[in-house]
Amino acid sequence: MGSRRNNLIVLALVVVLLGVAAYFIFIKEPVTQSTQLGLDLQGGVSAQLKGSQSGGGKVTRSEIVQAADLIRQRIDRLGVAEPDVRVQSENQIVVQIPGVKNPDEVIRIIGSTAQLGFYQVLASDPSLMEGPQVVPADEVEKTEQDMEENLKDDDAYEKGKTKILFEETPTPKGDGISVVGYIVPENPGLTGDSLKQNGANVEFDQTTGKRIVSLQLTSEGGRQMGELTQQMLADAATSGEPARLAIALDQDIQSAPTVEEPLGQNISISNNGLPEGLPEDEAKQLETVLNTGALPVNMKVISETTVGPTLGLSSLKSGLLASLVGFGLVLLLLLVIYRALGIVADLALLIYALLLWGLIVIIPITVTLPGIAGIVLSIGVAADANVVIFERIKEEIRRGKTPRSAIQAGYDKGYRAILDGNITTLITAFILFALSSGSVRGFAVLLAIGVVLSMFTAIVITRALLGILSDRGIHLSPALMGVSKASIATAEQARVR
Amino acid sequence: MFENVDFVGGWKLYFSLSGILLLAGVIAIALGGLNLGIDFQGGAQFTVANAERQLSDAQIRAALPDEIAGESVITTLGENGYEIRTPVISGQQEQSQIRDSLSRAFEGEVSVTTVSPAFGQQLRNQALQAVVAALLIIVAFISFRFEFAFALAAMAALVHDILMTIGFYAIVGREVSLVTVVAVLTVLGYSIYDTIIIFDRIRENAPTVGYNRRRFDEMINRSIRQVVRRSIYTSVFTLIPITALLIFGESTLSDFAFALLVGIVAGTYSSIFIASPVLSLYKAWRAGKLKAARST
Repeated sequence: MGSRRNNLIVLALVVVLLGVAAYFIFIKEPVTQSTQLGLDLQGGVSAQLKGSQSGGGKVTRSEIVQAADLIRQRIDRLGVAEPDVRVQSENQIVVQIPGVKNPDEVIRIIGSTAQLGFYQVLASDPSLMEGPQVVPADEVEKTEQDMEENLKDDDAYEKGKTKILFEETPTPKGDGISVVGYIVPENPGLTGDSLKQNGANVEFDQTTGKRIVSLQLTSEGGRQMGELTQQMLADAATSGEPARLAIALDQDIQSAPTVEEPLGQNISISNNGLPEGLPEDEAKQLETVLNTGALPVNMKVISETTVGPTLGLSSLKSGLLASLVGFGLVLLLLLVIYRALGIVADLALLIYALLLWGLIVIIPITVTLPGIAGIVLSIGVAADANVVIFERIKEEIRRGKTPRSAIQAGYDKGYRAILDGNITTLITAFILFALSSGSVRGFAVLLAIGVVLSMFTAIVITRALLGILSDRGIHLSPALMGVSKASIATAEQARVR
Repeated sequence: MFENVDFVGGWKLYFSLSGILLLAGVIAIALGGLNLGIDFQGGAQFTVANAERQLSDAQIRAALPDEIAGESVITTLGENGYEIRTPVISGQQEQSQIRDSLSRAFEGEVSVTTVSPAFGQQLRNQALQAVVAALLIIVAFISFRFEFAFALAAMAALVHDILMTIGFYAIVGREVSLVTVVAVLTVLGYSIYDTIIIFDRIRENAPTVGYNRRRFDEMINRSIRQVVRRSIYTSVFTLIPITALLIFGESTLSDFAFALLVGIVAGTYSSIFIASPVLSLYKAWRAGKLKAARST
């Protein structure tokens, strides 16, 4: 079991490690800030998005990385603290943002593809003549279905070459949503590619004073816009109907102004229905998504979690309470069963707990709700490593060995069982990590670290502590180690038999 | 401890005891007792924390849109928490409307989780893959460290534990979520650890040459007696913090703890009363076959 000197060196090393752990947990930063808490414990938004091609093609790795990059830029523009945007698998992105006040808006901004399109309106819903149709919010879908049926009968509609898009605007009085349907060509005349860098800005119209988003096109874009609008005006002259330019974002028409004369590099998205123009947050969103540019693929939110700060705090509290109570009871039981050995085990477990916490802070590992479960479970695993060895030691004592040689034998024989057992737990942790995502991974990481660290404490620390104890001339009687005289007698009988 | 228990010889009793419980579980599953959460079938879950107002079931449903109110599952969490699980909600806008409406009704903070059906399917597949992969790798590991007979016996114990955990879930009707799968995998790791400790002792006590059924069974019984105290202590040491989680933890933690509680009790039982008899029976069967082959 190594000499006394070796044991002292090991203990000195442990003290240094404890010092390092304590420094990182308590001194470097206040203890409330040193441990990173997951969104489920501190509140926030987490969304998982899946990329797909409009045509159904395969999403490439570079496209998804680029999309993640753009999403990060969008969130940065919102000025939200420390977003975490990660590419998860070949076509998925995970976005995590702690403590957001308006989760819905954030989700909308990160998830919209933001493909800008300028279309010539070929025909519009006939009801537009006598003012747009106003319906309550939950009837929008049905109204659009009806409109689509009507518009499909229009001469301008040609399957495959044209499509039907809708413009939805809340009315100024807030009593409903006005819905207008338009028939436009399948492909836009111009796309967001012709937008200048940072070309979208929230402004106020000089004549009406209403809020608009101005769009500045590149010179090539301006030329194309000129051609498009000229063509539209010519068509309008023959048909006698006003020329309308539909500006659509992700297949939703933002506005469809009437064009009076050919347009150039400067266009604007406006809403003349409302007294203030575009609502402020909507204008801001438009500016953000247009300036960061369109995502290379369509992103769909497949899973979303919003956790309020109150719920997070109550989860954290209950998790902490459960771990502390569990930990305390384990310490107590070890003492009751193993007496003197129990003191050693308790000391080792306390060291284990502090080192584990230190690792969590230093690496750093984000602690989530499943992560707490992993920690609690690893307390059991760590106690067990001691149990396996102590039971072996007791067994050797019953066979008549002296405490010292029993400790030696206990370690030599218990070691192999602990190693095999812990390797299987590690295998489970790795499988969990490889085949899962998000918070489950947090559990796997904590379980794996807990298992490795518990082997370290049981095999290195407990051993050194016991070595010193038995070296110091302290007489450890069998009773002190929790072995009763009766059980020694039974063991002897069994041997004789 | 257990000086007079014949761990191997009494296999008929032990197997039928497990069999009855497993049958009850299978019946509960067949009767639709398995309560799949939104993780696996898609949908939305609204969690209300710190509600200022206590609402009745009907009042909560009134705050939900008509088309989903009927299909929603409402559970209370503690004194002023509620969890409302709804089918898939079509749009972002509708979701925020429901949240606002619940928030107004309860005067409390509302947290939301949504999972699309496609993602739920993905999670389900991943979970199944993880469980199968874990089983295969563990069997390979034991075959490598011990021998195939031990791996087979360990596998029998593991399948027993998984079925037992799922069966109990179905019987009590707790919600099955991603966390449940994590718990099942943890149970696998735990149960195999328990089994390995016993097998390790059998390996240590096993004679190097010759096989004699009576001697081998006697040896298994002796090995189990040597380590059974440790098995029970370990279960107790692991069950203590888990029970604390079950009592003090909220929704997710308590579901997780419940699965672990059942799984670990089953795992301790199976490593003593299932794995070892299976090992003995398989060894005897093999020996019988070899003998038959030699005599012809």
